[in-house]
Amino acid sequence: MKKTIIFITATLILFPVGVLIYKARILKLSLVPQMVDDVWNLHINLKPKGDVTSFSFPIPKMGLGQKVSDERIRRKDLEVFIDSNSDSHVATWTSKELIKGRISYSARVDLKPVTYNRIPKDYTETYPKGLEQYLKLPTLLPEDEEAISSLETAILEGSEDKTTLIRKIYYYVEEEIQRNTDIKTIHETLNTGKGSPLIKAKLFNIMARRKNVPSRIVVMVRMPEVRQSMEETKLRFTFANEVFLANKWVPIDTNRGYFAQRPDNFMLIHRNYEEVEKLISKKNITYSIQAERARINRYNKTEFKKEVIKSDSIFSKLSLYRLPLPLQTMFTTILLIPIGALVLSIARNIIGIPTFGIFTPILLTLFFKETSFGFGMLFFAVVVTIGIVERYILDKFYLLAVPRLSIILTLIIMLMLGYSFYAVELTSISQKHLSFFPIVIVTLIIERLSIMITEEGMLNTFKTLLGTLLIVLLVYSLYFISALEMFMFTNPELLLTIIGLLILVGKYKGYRLSEFLRFRDLVRQKKKMESLPHDLL
Amino acid sequence: MIFSKLKEMGILGINNRVGRYILRHNKRSNYPLVDNKVLTAQRAEAWGIATPENYLIVENYGSLKNLHLKLLNYESFVIKPAKGSQGNGIIVIKEIIKEEKDGEVRILCRRSNDKLMDLDEVKHHISGILSGLHSLSGQSDTAIIQAKIDKHPIFDQYSYGGIPDIRVIVFEGFPVMSMVRLPTKSSDGRANLHQGAIGAGLNLSDGRTNNAVIRSQVVDIHPDTGHSLSGLKLPFWKEILELAARCYDMVELGYLGADIVLTPDHGPILLELNARPGLGIQIANLSGLVPRLEKIRLQAPKNLMAKERVEYSMKNF
Repeated sequence: MKKTIIFITATLILFPVGVLIYKARILKLSLVPQMVDDVWNLHINLKPKGDVTSFSFPIPKMGLGQKVSDERIRRKDLEVFIDSNSDSHVATWTSKELIKGRISYSARVDLKPVTYNRIPKDYTETYPKGLEQYLKLPTLLPEDEEAISSLETAILEGSEDKTTLIRKIYYYVEEEIQRNTDIKTIHETLNTGKGSPLIKAKLFNIMARRKNVPSRIVVMVRMPEVRQSMEETKLRFTFANEVFLANKWVPIDTNRGYFAQRPDNFMLIHRNYEEVEKLISKKNITYSIQAERARINRYNKTEFKKEVIKSDSIFSKLSLYRLPLPLQTMFTTILLIPIGALVLSIARNIIGIPTFGIFTPILLTLFFKETSFGFGMLFFAVVVTIGIVERYILDKFYLLAVPRLSIILTLIIMLMLGYSFYAVELTSISQKHLSFFPIVIVTLIIERLSIMITEEGMLNTFKTLLGTLLIVLLVYSLYFISALEMFMFTNPELLLTIIGLLILVGKYKGYRLSEFLRFRDLVRQKKKMESLPHDLL
Repeated sequence: MIFSKLKEMGILGINNRVGRYILRHNKRSNYPLVDNKVLTAQRAEAWGIATPENYLIVENYGSLKNLHLKLLNYESFVIKPAKGSQGNGIIVIKEIIKEEKDGEVRILCRRSNDKLMDLDEVKHHISGILSGLHSLSGQSDTAIIQAKIDKHPIFDQYSYGGIPDIRVIVFEGFPVMSMVRLPTKSSDGRANLHQGAIGAGLNLSDGRTNNAVIRSQVVDIHPDTGHSLSGLKLPFWKEILELAARCYDMVELGYLGADIVLTPDHGPILLELNARPGLGIQIANLSGLVPRLEKIRLQAPKNLMAKERVEYSMKNF
């Protein structure tokens, strides 16, 4: 018997966990729909200068920490070609006639920070052919060349591996070169110790390549701050570097001080400035780049639905996401009830918190959730007051139980009427608060309450009230973790786990926490008795 | 662990009581026999177990109409719900007073706490019982009008107001623990521990009090009479235990609480049975139930007569 129960419980608990792992690992499904908070709506507007039949512009590409979706690039009268060299995208629009008017590109971009915690020492001497272009040195004035090599002797001495060298170059460019947008050549920078962001990136690039480390300048856009108004903000290109260390391209930003990391407010447009220098030059094109936070739902259910159906597994047929939307909303709430019941079971059977009725706290919580916390509390207070008053007033009339309950029911409805008049005056939130289901529950609570007051006294009644309220608050706060809600909705098989846990609670034969208090005096007095001489007993 | 002390003393907790003893030893289908006092009384009569005499059973509102005529036949009575618990809904009428005023006869009932009720109030109370106000699950109920039991003189110094009752926990037919509940002023003359009655633990071997508590505080004297609580030795002790033990055979519930009262002239009689007896008895006795229950479960000989089981308990506990 015992073994069967252990087996059943373990299966119930572990089976959904296994399913979760299967979904995540094998089907590569997300366990919760993606949060869409990080998604940006990106718009690029372009207008080539002069009369052209074709022009190109870099557009963002999928990559580490950067997801691009819903790209809109086509225009009826133009042909579009996207050149995707290994690391970047460049779009080319061509037409048989001269291109007139604006061309726009839009996409949704999901940005995540990129961080490398530790980069191992790098002693690479030769690089594959593809990287050779990142080692080419530009021609410099002889005096600049001299200045740089004396710099190198000063700051790089004694370092052998490339990771350390790069770190030192980074510190030098980041700290010693002051930002000054007026200084636009390497020559000036070396003389003044100041430079524009692009020049700082260029200087870093040269110094890295001189040490035989593949390096490139990346073109980025800094996303607007969330604090900035929702109005679309015009963005400008800015520059940073990437160096090839320990077999990967490592982001480095000497302008904003990031080594081996790229925060999630920077979007990469192109990874090799040299290639697109002419394309993005203001001489050839006017452009404006705008980005705004996409304000959709917190969770992107539609995307997830697509994802599940695409997975073509059993879950694509069983997913709750296939239900019509109103049903989905309903189930999101309903699936939380078992969690509430689990909390309630633990509170009652393991902690020993007294509550009114068995499921009253959960129903009350749902009521709180449906309406609002403030309204729920107000309602609860009113209910308690009615319960107490009822005892003292209706008791005098010697009414039979059922009519008496019905009177309370009617009183509650009258209260709701009163509230609705009041609420209509104030705001429009009222309808939601006046749903049907609480009426009957509340009536029953009042009746139980008034009986309890007579039978068990005010003190016990208030203990029970407090217990009920405590559970309501606990479950209510659980219900507000929206991730939990989505998690249950996405993976309803977890209901089995809850049953398993409930069996465990049900099999719990130990003491309740409340019994520790109840029998505390017993233990103390027993000890006292034992220490007394026997003739006193 | 904070519970280690409780475990050491063998205190029975609620979860353990339900999971290990009540669910396993009490057949659900036998519950009505103890939850409904009318059925208990019928069964007891068949088994020759003494219970208070039921004068009237009120089952519907219609019979309330002429009830007062019937009630006038009795000098005193007790009104109780058939499915009540913890003494809720019980009213003790110790005297019926007839007042004549301007040619109209007015009937008043004096309760055990000396409050007066007129007949309308009594009827209202009964209709409350019928509608299930005091019943275990809130279902409609039956009211019992029962003979009032008198206090045994031995309790004169130990009780305020109502009648003390003796609770015996019976496990598989063996008495395992016992206490006497002594009404106090603060319990409104009722033998209800929750309301502040005294719970005095009784030695199973001799029926002497071993300890007394009010709401888990140890007390030495009765707060209302001032009489010392130690040294009370119950008469008919063996009969009390035998009565309790026989209830097991009667209702076939393995874990049972029997509430017994001592009458001045008929000795111990069964007041009611309880399929989920409370755990406060452990506080009254300053000892835990678990070791005794386990001893019975593992060591006690099977198939004994009630008398033999009582002897076993008196010897072992």
